[in-house]
Amino acid sequence: MRASIQWLRELTGLELNIDELAEKLTNIGLEVDVIERFEAVDKVVVGQVRSKEKHPDKDRLSIVTVFDGTEEIVVICGAPNVPEPGGHILFAQVGASLPLEEGGTMDIGERKIAGVVSRGMICSETELRIGTGSAGIFVFEDEPGLTEIPKPGTPLAEALPVGDVVFEIGLTPNRPDCLGHIGIARDIAAVMGHPFAPPAVKAPAKVAAGVTGVVPDGDMRVALEWEGESTATEVDASGLGPFAVEIDDAERCPRYGAAFVLGGQVGKSPFWLRYRLHVLGLRSRSNLVDATNLVMLETGHPLHGFDLETLRGRKIVVRTATEGEQMTTLDDEERTLGADDLLICDGEGPVAIAGVMGGEDSEIGDSTTHVAIECAYFDPRSIRRTSRRLGMHTDASHRFERGVDPNDVRYVLARTASLMAELGGGVALAEGLDAHPTPIERRKITLRVPRLDALLGFTVQRATAQACLERLGCDVKVDGDVLEVTAPSWRPDLAIEEDLIEEVVRVHGYEHVPALVPAIRPSRSGSPGPARFERQVKEQVAALGLYEAINHAFVAPGDLAKARAPEAVVKVVNPLSEERSVMRTSLLPGLATAAGHALRRQAPGAGLFEVGRTIHPRDGGELPEERDTLAIFLAGAAHGPDGNAWIGGERAYDFYDVKGFVEATVDALAGQLPAVVPTDDVPAWAHPRRVGAIELGGTKVGVVAELHPEVGEALGLEEHRGQYAELDLATLRETIEAAGVSRAPHLPKVPAVIRDMALLVDTEHTAGSVAEALADGGGELVESVTLFDRYEGKGVPEGKRSLAFRLVYRDPSATLTDKVVDKAHQKAANAAKARCGAELR
Amino acid sequence: MSDEALEKFRAGLATIEGEYQPALEAATNENALREARAKFTGPQGALTELMKGMKDVPGKHRRELGQASNALKNAVQALFDARLEAIEKEALRAELEGPMLDLTLPGRRPMPGRLHPVTRAEYDLLDIFGSMGFETARGPEIDTFGRCFSQLGFPPDHPATDEHDTFYVSGGGEGDEAHVLRTHTSTMQIREMSRREPPLAVVSPGKVFRRDDDATHSPMFHQLEGFLVDEGITMAHLQGMLTVFLERFFGTAIDVRFRASYFPFVEPGAELDVRRAAQGDEPAGPWMEILGCGMIHPTVLRNVGYDPEKVSGFAFGMGVDRIAMVRHAIPNIKALYDNDVRFLSAF
Repeated sequence: MRASIQWLRELTGLELNIDELAEKLTNIGLEVDVIERFEAVDKVVVGQVRSKEKHPDKDRLSIVTVFDGTEEIVVICGAPNVPEPGGHILFAQVGASLPLEEGGTMDIGERKIAGVVSRGMICSETELRIGTGSAGIFVFEDEPGLTEIPKPGTPLAEALPVGDVVFEIGLTPNRPDCLGHIGIARDIAAVMGHPFAPPAVKAPAKVAAGVTGVVPDGDMRVALEWEGESTATEVDASGLGPFAVEIDDAERCPRYGAAFVLGGQVGKSPFWLRYRLHVLGLRSRSNLVDATNLVMLETGHPLHGFDLETLRGRKIVVRTATEGEQMTTLDDEERTLGADDLLICDGEGPVAIAGVMGGEDSEIGDSTTHVAIECAYFDPRSIRRTSRRLGMHTDASHRFERGVDPNDVRYVLARTASLMAELGGGVALAEGLDAHPTPIERRKITLRVPRLDALLGFTVQRATAQACLERLGCDVKVDGDVLEVTAPSWRPDLAIEEDLIEEVVRVHGYEHVPALVPAIRPSRSGSPGPARFERQVKEQVAALGLYEAINHAFVAPGDLAKARAPEAVVKVVNPLSEERSVMRTSLLPGLATAAGHALRRQAPGAGLFEVGRTIHPRDGGELPEERDTLAIFLAGAAHGPDGNAWIGGERAYDFYDVKGFVEATVDALAGQLPAVVPTDDVPAWAHPRRVGAIELGGTKVGVVAELHPEVGEALGLEEHRGQYAELDLATLRETIEAAGVSRAPHLPKVPAVIRDMALLVDTEHTAGSVAEALADGGGELVESVTLFDRYEGKGVPEGKRSLAFRLVYRDPSATLTDKVVDKAHQKAANAAKARCGAELR
Repeated sequence: MSDEALEKFRAGLATIEGEYQPALEAATNENALREARAKFTGPQGALTELMKGMKDVPGKHRRELGQASNALKNAVQALFDARLEAIEKEALRAELEGPMLDLTLPGRRPMPGRLHPVTRAEYDLLDIFGSMGFETARGPEIDTFGRCFSQLGFPPDHPATDEHDTFYVSGGGEGDEAHVLRTHTSTMQIREMSRREPPLAVVSPGKVFRRDDDATHSPMFHQLEGFLVDEGITMAHLQGMLTVFLERFFGTAIDVRFRASYFPFVEPGAELDVRRAAQGDEPAGPWMEILGCGMIHPTVLRNVGYDPEKVSGFAFGMGVDRIAMVRHAIPNIKALYDNDVRFLSAF
């Protein structure tokens, strides 16, 4: 909402300091986002045309002599409407600096145009930023309502009512009253402690005498109220009435009022009106249309003006559309309507979409003389549904869907009729129509004064509360500690006691609320559980050397297909793009894509992880399953102690890197290493020969694998082999919790005996199976078996590899002798030979 | 014969006696010293060789020569020990006074990774709220329309939902049972309060989604919701708690401003701004919006089965991305979710 400070000053009668006002408005919930200043440009004065002639060569240019109050100056002008000698224009002297809309300035200097020296410029409203859309230069003689033309040489600032400050207010949707200047003025006055009343409606100069036949007798007929004297005038209203209003849908249209101005003339609006609309961001259309817009900006209540003679049957019918019914709105668009859309119709068909936009055929045009003014109240929800469905967001729908004041209809009609009559020279009818089938009562709300203290935490005096509410337009009846409040009809947001409490503290000032620190009582039902575990996981994995990625939770279906992720997906019904149209069922595509980008941007390697949800649909309308997942992705050159952390020695990440990250992570969290075991359940994305299930205490907690080379390529990894692991965090956490915390180890006092053994083994036997054979063969004395070297290649026969193990022997009760260890070591070797054919090297 | 051997032995001792000292003293490092000693007392050393001739020496001289040989061996060892100590001392002196290490060679570093800046900001917030007594709860990213809007008191067909342009997803029912990507973490008010009784002090971070995708909006971002419900909780408590939070997060050199605002699920509602306080000649910084907050709306309390006459509470919500962006001077929210490794490794 744009608000003119000049207008607010007129309405409140207060001197308003711009910066203070901006801060005050922001504090009371009318947040001032932007302050825009409109000023008269210096060195622009009233000039008088002394002579004009066509340029000898250039048809469109005139050579004009202008008197600027001191001297006669020759300028070139390209506008078609340079007045005849004697006419007055706005003249930018040499040295003037005209602000450009796109920023910067146009500096006026002496210039040679088409062979003629031009010293200055005759200006349009647009060039001076005092108006928009002007067809040519500003000519004082063409201005309606201008009684006296200022003398040549008068500065712009004195010649015209120019200069204002506009606040762009980021209005919250609960304050439709502040979509008009009266509402904002009321809040300002309230917070400054001044009384406020909307301005009285000035009586139009001419009012039609007696019954004209346009407004029929009956319940709907109402007298418009205004202050001051008018001249009773006869008008010929034959054929214009009687005018009828029929409301078919009183729920969607609880109130519909109409007023009439006859015999007016459509023309240009006076400068003050055009300027006000201009600073508030609206284009001037014509005097009659501008009148409706000005009153909307003043009261917040949208209006519509119909050319009375185009309304067939001289009646208005408010009804819902039939499915598929069509009409052309005044933006020249053919609209198709549905049974939920409310229409304003005349005797034959639709003339407006209620509360949204008028129709082309009935709008006020150049030849309009008789106007019917509509001021109605529509059900906000209905307007919102229609405007959303049609994608039409207009100044009117914006206000109606937030809820206009249903009870200011007569005031608004009187104000508009008076203004239209004044601007167009027409005659206002002293009576209008007010169809009000469903009266909207003002809400009665009880405010218990002690509730103020209870909710706010400090004492507000009853009198203070009462004054705050009354300044906002509430009627307050005091009954002991209870205020019986009747809320104003322009505040649909006031419904319950707490709403009034907010109003009191808002007007009284949020700065009065003290800052107290309460004691927080621990909840008995609380648990650090999953959130704490998730944090431990993230911090652990990051500490190990991986970077945390956060990917979008929605992905392209194609990415999931490339990653061979689970195909049952939750779809986004209204996605912004195909790229983000299904919820991810795997974290792989996001991580692989990020790693691929990194490698293509010359990163030597990428080690990433993400903790996020994968989403899997459930049947029967249940919310989908969201699995907290840890995913680790490696590709490219390894870093770390045995990678390229120190100078020299670079190698690519392989399976054992990702397995290592998994082992270290689980070990740190669980206090024990997980097992990576063969699995029948090989995911489609995994290399069928480089994949294993991650188990902890026999429970599967995840899977680790090299990416299937085809998947890697599909995901953009080119020649790099991706290494990927994913762990289900809930299962991991539950498994760790079930195992309980680690118990203190028994630290042996007797020394161990350490023996190494190098074996030649067929590659079909895993290192793990050989180690197991050694441990079993060595018997109870074996404390541990650790692989410390593995070698294939020169010196080792094809199909075999050399594995070197370190065996630690210990007898907790006695110091071992060489003889005993020799025997056990031999048995270990025997077992390795028997089970795995391992030969001592 | 035996006298000859005796003489030879004696001469040998004399030779060694005369040679060992200069030999050992000539050695300037440990290896040379050990080699020098080996020439005399090593397995093939002169003294060792000489001792092998003892058997030819007449018996009555053996004792005397044996003692002399041992004395000489001990003398060699003593000199060796002394020399070794001197050499070590010299080596240490040379190291301590010698050339500097090349400090520019890189350290053998374990290369730690990084948490995402949003996660870091989130954890910092959680630490502060945790230290104040709030527990952390996480909730689903997909929730019902009811919990996201209706139960929070959003009026139907109301422009209050304009800022919550919502993604709907498949699998839900009609109306309140429709499934949506939650537009705010305020869903957690309903979830936690519905299943638990006051007192409750909860913060809940997480992903939220809105159908906005432009220079300043990402369709996915992160929020942190917090609420406290107990008997006698007031707006003064809201201001107190959030001021303590801000002072812990930004330091105490700040100004805090509470101003009226509107969110359907709180009443009264407020917005909280913070700025760097004026210090000396330096004026205060510009106001920065940090969070929305307010007293939990009685409709919300009733919807979760609480009696608003008996308990009250406050709630607040803030954008975690924004805090991370302000803190690290990240100009564009999109950078947070591009996962460029150069970006991720920078924090």
